[in-house]
Amino acid sequence: MPIKVLAPEVVSRIAAGEVIERPASVVKELVENALDAGASQISIEAQSGGIDLIKVSDNGAGIPAAEVELAFQRHATSKIGNLDDLEKITSLGFRGEALPSIAAVAEVEILTKVISEGVGSYVYLSNANIVCRESRSRPQGTSVSVRHLFRYFPARLKFLKSANTENSHIAHLVSQYALAFPEVSFTLLLDKRLSLQTAGDGDLRQVLSHIYGLEVAQQMLEAAENDVFLKVTGLTSPPSLARSDRSRLSFFVNRRWVYSALLTRATEEAYHGLLMDGKHPITIINVSLPAAEVDVNVHPTKAQVKFRHEQIVFATVEKAIKAALKRTSVAKTPATVFRDTSWQEIASPELNSGHWQREGMVKDSESPYVTPLLPLKLPVLRVLGQLATTYVIAECPDGLYIVDQHAAHERILYDRILAQWSAKKIEVQGLLQPVTVELSPREEEILKANKENLTQFGFAIEAFGDRSYLIRSVPVVMAKSNVTEAINALLDDLGSKENSATWEEKVAQSLACHSAVRAGQQLSYDEMRELIRQLEQSREPRTCPHGRPTMIHISSHQLEKEFGRK
Amino acid sequence: MKLTCLQENLNKGLGIVGRAVATRSTLPITQNILLVAEPSRLKLSATNLEIATTSWVGANVEEEGSITAPARLLMDFVNSLPNDLIEVTLPVNGHTIELKSGRFQAHINGIDAQDFPPIPQISEGIATSIEAASLREGIRQVTFAATTEESRPVLTGTNAELEGKELKLVATDGFRLAVHKTTLISPVAEPTTLIIPARTLNELSRLLGDQEEPVEITMNRQKSQILFHLKSAEIVSQLIPGSFPNYSQIIPQSYTTRAVLDTEKFLQVIRISSIFARDASGIVRLIITPGSELGRGKITVSAQAEEIGGNVSEIDALIDGEEAKIAFNSKYLSDVLAVIPQAQVALEVTTPSSPGVIRPIGVDNYVHVIMPMFVQW
Repeated sequence: MPIKVLAPEVVSRIAAGEVIERPASVVKELVENALDAGASQISIEAQSGGIDLIKVSDNGAGIPAAEVELAFQRHATSKIGNLDDLEKITSLGFRGEALPSIAAVAEVEILTKVISEGVGSYVYLSNANIVCRESRSRPQGTSVSVRHLFRYFPARLKFLKSANTENSHIAHLVSQYALAFPEVSFTLLLDKRLSLQTAGDGDLRQVLSHIYGLEVAQQMLEAAENDVFLKVTGLTSPPSLARSDRSRLSFFVNRRWVYSALLTRATEEAYHGLLMDGKHPITIINVSLPAAEVDVNVHPTKAQVKFRHEQIVFATVEKAIKAALKRTSVAKTPATVFRDTSWQEIASPELNSGHWQREGMVKDSESPYVTPLLPLKLPVLRVLGQLATTYVIAECPDGLYIVDQHAAHERILYDRILAQWSAKKIEVQGLLQPVTVELSPREEEILKANKENLTQFGFAIEAFGDRSYLIRSVPVVMAKSNVTEAINALLDDLGSKENSATWEEKVAQSLACHSAVRAGQQLSYDEMRELIRQLEQSREPRTCPHGRPTMIHISSHQLEKEFGRK
Repeated sequence: MKLTCLQENLNKGLGIVGRAVATRSTLPITQNILLVAEPSRLKLSATNLEIATTSWVGANVEEEGSITAPARLLMDFVNSLPNDLIEVTLPVNGHTIELKSGRFQAHINGIDAQDFPPIPQISEGIATSIEAASLREGIRQVTFAATTEESRPVLTGTNAELEGKELKLVATDGFRLAVHKTTLISPVAEPTTLIIPARTLNELSRLLGDQEEPVEITMNRQKSQILFHLKSAEIVSQLIPGSFPNYSQIIPQSYTTRAVLDTEKFLQVIRISSIFARDASGIVRLIITPGSELGRGKITVSAQAEEIGGNVSEIDALIDGEEAKIAFNSKYLSDVLAVIPQAQVALEVTTPSSPGVIRPIGVDNYVHVIMPMFVQW
């Protein structure tokens, strides 16, 4: 076949395919248009997963009658004017591709009115051709109805999932925009059923309570951090709220919802050591920065962005979340046991804060929200006894603490090892007779790569023939444990790629884990008291180095409630 | 079964075997004590399948027989009775023991003696005997150095080497080593090495009490069991299989600095330092300074605990050699100093990273080696 230029309708269908992938993409484009039009109320309706009907109505600026038809031409937009504007994009859309792309794959009705005109204009397009055009009445704003999506694209239609799945994509998408724009009231109807309605009062926590529930919304922590040119704001969950997938990580750049591996990594880094493996936080983070610092024109759907200064963005996000977590208590409250859904709590005045300003930068206003956080440090505890030879039970005036002896000891040893390491004062115990360890080829490679590091930690390791090594000294904390086993485990841990800790943290984790007292080991009263005493002095007493909680706290208040005293 | 005996004697006998009763066991009968009425004496036995202890109580036996009874119950009841005659009866084919003393009477439901695990009998094998005092001292000076870490079972026991008329007891936990030599009363037929569980020796030491009569030792041919026959009790124990590491090259043959000092004062100084060393992995630092025209030789002992404080003590010592610095775990030092009865000890060191040696002055039957800790000076 000879090379030739494609016909315009072919081109437009190819281009449409990039932008409109599934019904949710239509919703995305229309909602972004509504937001760019300055709407304060947006209602979205979808039927049969958006294939039969998608209708987005807003009370935004509207389109003047003379420009309505133009809006359906490719690369026609009011959002940017020239090349320079591309450098300082503040609107969500700018490519002028949304409406023509949608019109290329579905039947579109538009009814719009600007404030200066007396009557609205109605246009009906089928197969990208105007079928009907007339004047109709409408208050200011725009409604776009999209019907029979992909009717003439059986291939695309075939790849769509069930109506429920498509509905859930739409719901997820609308939720994200609602989070990004708490001051806009969103209403989402899925198959005539109200799925989401936000108040549009600018309160992020309020929006969050509609999406993830009240309990989550109440516990979320404020994150905020400034750098020279960027501002990070949002809410992030205390470690006790962890979920097992990443679907609740929402990132916005200048309030544009984006997928960002960079921001995901920054967030997980901030939670490092606080969450168990495979657990992820709930995080809503908006990064505000000058338009010139970010390139949103990477992908047709603008779901990916490029930062000019990635490192700074990364560090600021991490810092914001870390700071939020510092202010929290990690001790779990057994919420399921003590669930309380009285109306007082729902009407709690605490649900009141965290608003993002409409403009890119957020004003400096101290949040009125004060979380009743427990101090990170432990109060002085009195040991009551041991439970199931695994937990230490202790009390203090604010209630009962159940402490996992292994996790707690791990935390103490971990802190001690890292403290010694950073002070370059690792305590080392010599062995009377060197212990011989046999290594697998993989372990040997890891050992060779880390020999210097291990020496710094007090291991004197000498090669002793074929994959055999002699251990002549070990760090003091390890002296009481099985050296061979501990060395093997240490090399495994060092070789593990799942753990994002630095090598010295990995060594400390591994040493702490294998030297700590085990579950099932009987402790005398003095040992328990000593354990708790040392834990009280730890800076992060409430989690073990792997992120598991070291303790459960049942407050006196909870006890009183459970016993009906209050 | 029918017999009478004195409460005092029965109580003592039960006390001897009571410690061997299993505390947690899947075999419930091991929580019982076996009572066997033999002509003119009552035999009491208990076992946890690792150690079995037997003792004999003088009794007026009218009718022989045997039964087992719950240890705790029997011991507590007998212990609470006044020192008087106790009459023990068991009907033929019955399982309920009746104990009667004056106006006190009790019934205890027992289990048939047939079900009790057999107490190993070692009638032939390698036999010898030893002075009770020598054995007591050997156990005291060695067993504490064994490890409690189960991963190397051989190190949880004490190695006993018998050759000719010599008995060598050795224990180590990988950081310290204790070697005690003593003589046997009668030579062994062939050189024998075996590893005795720490618990057996501790129990033996307790049963030895202040006994003066020699202890007879018998080992079976397979070297899997050992029997200690005491004045009024017997203890049979399983041995730990395996071979003890070769320790002889660990004991340093030379030194660069040797300090001779008062055992008790040394122990006191170490104990004081250990108060501060507690929070610093037990590290105590020793600076050994030889004497000169200006002053006598001394050892400075110090301990530092980050963020808490520290202390420094001095002790006079007779120093031979150059100045030396070495750090030890305070527990290892105080453990060994506490078991040396001699008034003076010698501390021999070479470098800060090679083992230190402690020897009592005046005898040459004991050596204790401690691996130092490596610290920044």
